[in-house]
Amino acid sequence: MLLPVDSSSVLETVGRRGRLSYEFERAGPRTILTRSSCTSPWHHFPPSYLDDSGCAYTWLVNPSGGLVGGDHVSVEAQLHAHTHVLMTSPSANRVYRSLSEPAVQEVCLSVGPGARLEWVPEVTIPFAGSRFRQSIHVDLAPGATVVLWDAMASGRVAMRERWAFAAVENEIRIRTPLGGSVVERYRVVPGRLPESVGLAESWDYVAALFVIGDGVNAEVWKGLEAAIAVILDEHPGLVLGAVSTPAAPGLAVKLVARSAPDLTVTLEALWAAVRKYLWNLPATNLRRY
Amino acid sequence: MNTISLLTGLRFVDSFFPSGGYAYSSGLEAAVQGGAVRNAEELSRFVVESLTTGIGEREAVAAGLAHESFMSGLLDDSLKADRELDAMKLGRESRTASRQMGRQVIRLAAEQNPRHPLLEDFLAAVEAGHSPGHMAVSLGLTLAAAGWSKEDTIAAFLYQTATGFVSAAMKLMPIGQREGQRLLENWLEVIERVSQKAAHQRVLQSWSPVQDIYAMRHSRLESRLFRS
Repeated sequence: MLLPVDSSSVLETVGRRGRLSYEFERAGPRTILTRSSCTSPWHHFPPSYLDDSGCAYTWLVNPSGGLVGGDHVSVEAQLHAHTHVLMTSPSANRVYRSLSEPAVQEVCLSVGPGARLEWVPEVTIPFAGSRFRQSIHVDLAPGATVVLWDAMASGRVAMRERWAFAAVENEIRIRTPLGGSVVERYRVVPGRLPESVGLAESWDYVAALFVIGDGVNAEVWKGLEAAIAVILDEHPGLVLGAVSTPAAPGLAVKLVARSAPDLTVTLEALWAAVRKYLWNLPATNLRRY
Repeated sequence: MNTISLLTGLRFVDSFFPSGGYAYSSGLEAAVQGGAVRNAEELSRFVVESLTTGIGEREAVAAGLAHESFMSGLLDDSLKADRELDAMKLGRESRTASRQMGRQVIRLAAEQNPRHPLLEDFLAAVEAGHSPGHMAVSLGLTLAAAGWSKEDTIAAFLYQTATGFVSAAMKLMPIGQREGQRLLENWLEVIERVSQKAAHQRVLQSWSPVQDIYAMRHSRLESRLFRS
C-alpha cells in the first residue's frame, strides 16, 4: 500500500482538501444520483444521460485546471445494486511543479451486486518537477463489473517536456467478492539514477485497462481477450500493448503509446470492444470535443 | 554462514535444482522477437531494469518479507506477501511460471531434514490452494530455514533470475558462454545494491511496463521456444 499521507498542519495550510462523494441507485431503467456532496476544488455536475441505456454519465470536474503540491483530493462513489455509472473527466489531470509536498488524489469506489462501473478519466500530465501520488481502490460485489482506465503522459509533450517530473506514485487495487485482487503499484522517479524510467523512456504515454468482474461468462472473456489483442496490434511502432488474465476474473491490459492520438484511438477501440462484448452496448459518445 | 548452510541453500539456487526454470524466459523471447533486444547491450539494459525497478522492487521484496516471516515464526506474513505478488503479476504466463517453480522449491524444502514446521505449514497452504506459492516467497522461506541472511537470500533470488535471463538469451540470440559470463559479472554489483535496498522495503511495487508488456505478449507468439 502507499505510504499514509501526512495529515500535519503543513498539508492543511498549503493545499486544498477537496472531497467529491456520490451515491447511485437504480430507479426503473435508469441509474440515478441519490446523494452527493462536494468541496473545492471539485465542482458538482449532475449526471447526464447520453443514450438510452440508463447509464449515468458522471463528470469529475475540477475547474481549477489541475493539482498543486499539498492538494489532497478524493473521490468516493457508492453504486448500489444493478446501477450503471460512467465516470470520466472533461480534460487532462494536470499536476503542477512542487518543491516538496506531493499532490494526492485518492479514489474509493464501491460497486454493488450486478452493478457496472466505467472509470475512464482523461490522462494525467505530470509537469516538470511535479509530485503526484494517486490511489484507486475498487471493491466489487458479486456480479459487479468494473472497467478501469488509467493513463499517464511523460509530461507536457508538446513543450518537449518528457519524464521531467519529480515523482509519480500510483496504486490501483481491485478487490473481488471471493477475495481475489488485482494490484498495480509503481513509483517512478525519473531523476533516480541509475534506475530512472527505463525502456518506457522512449514512449510518451503509459496506460493500463482493467476489466474485472465475477459475473461474466468465460467465453465472453475469451472473445474479448482475442479482440483486444487484435486492437493492440493495429498500430505497430506507435502502440505496444498486451492483454492477459490476472489473478482475479477478468482481463488486464498494459500499453505504451507514442502520442496522444495513438493513445486515444486505442482507448476508443478497446473501450468499444469491452462495451460490446460485456453488455452489447455501443461505444460511448462523450461529446467532449 | 557455515558450510552446511551454504550448501543447503545452494541446492535450491543451483540450475541443477528441478524447478523447471530453464523453460521460462520471463518475456525475453517476446522482446527478442519484437526487436526490442537484439544484442548484449540491449539485453543488459532489459535485464538490469527488471532487476532494479521491476523484479527488484516486487519479487525481491517478497523474498525478503518471506525471510522475515520465517525468522519471526509468523506464517501469515508470507501468505500475505504471496497473495500480493499473485495480485500484482498481471500476466498469466509469468504468474503461472512463478507458481510452478515456487511449488517445486517448497515441496522439496519442506521434506528435507531437519523439518521446519513453518515450511510444512506453507506447503500445506499451497497444496490446499490457500496460497499461490510463488518462487520468491518459497525461496525466501527456504533460504531462511537454511540459515542464510535476508540480504543473501534476496541476492540469491536475483542471481537465479539473472542466470535465467542469460540462459534464455543464449538460446534466443547470438550470445556465447563467455559473453554470458561477462554480463553476469557486470550485474553482480546491481544485484548487491538491489538486495540491500529490497531488504529494507516492505511494500511491493514494480515499474517495468515495457518488460511487462513483452511478458504478457509471449503467449501470442506464433513460434515459441519457452513457456513464458
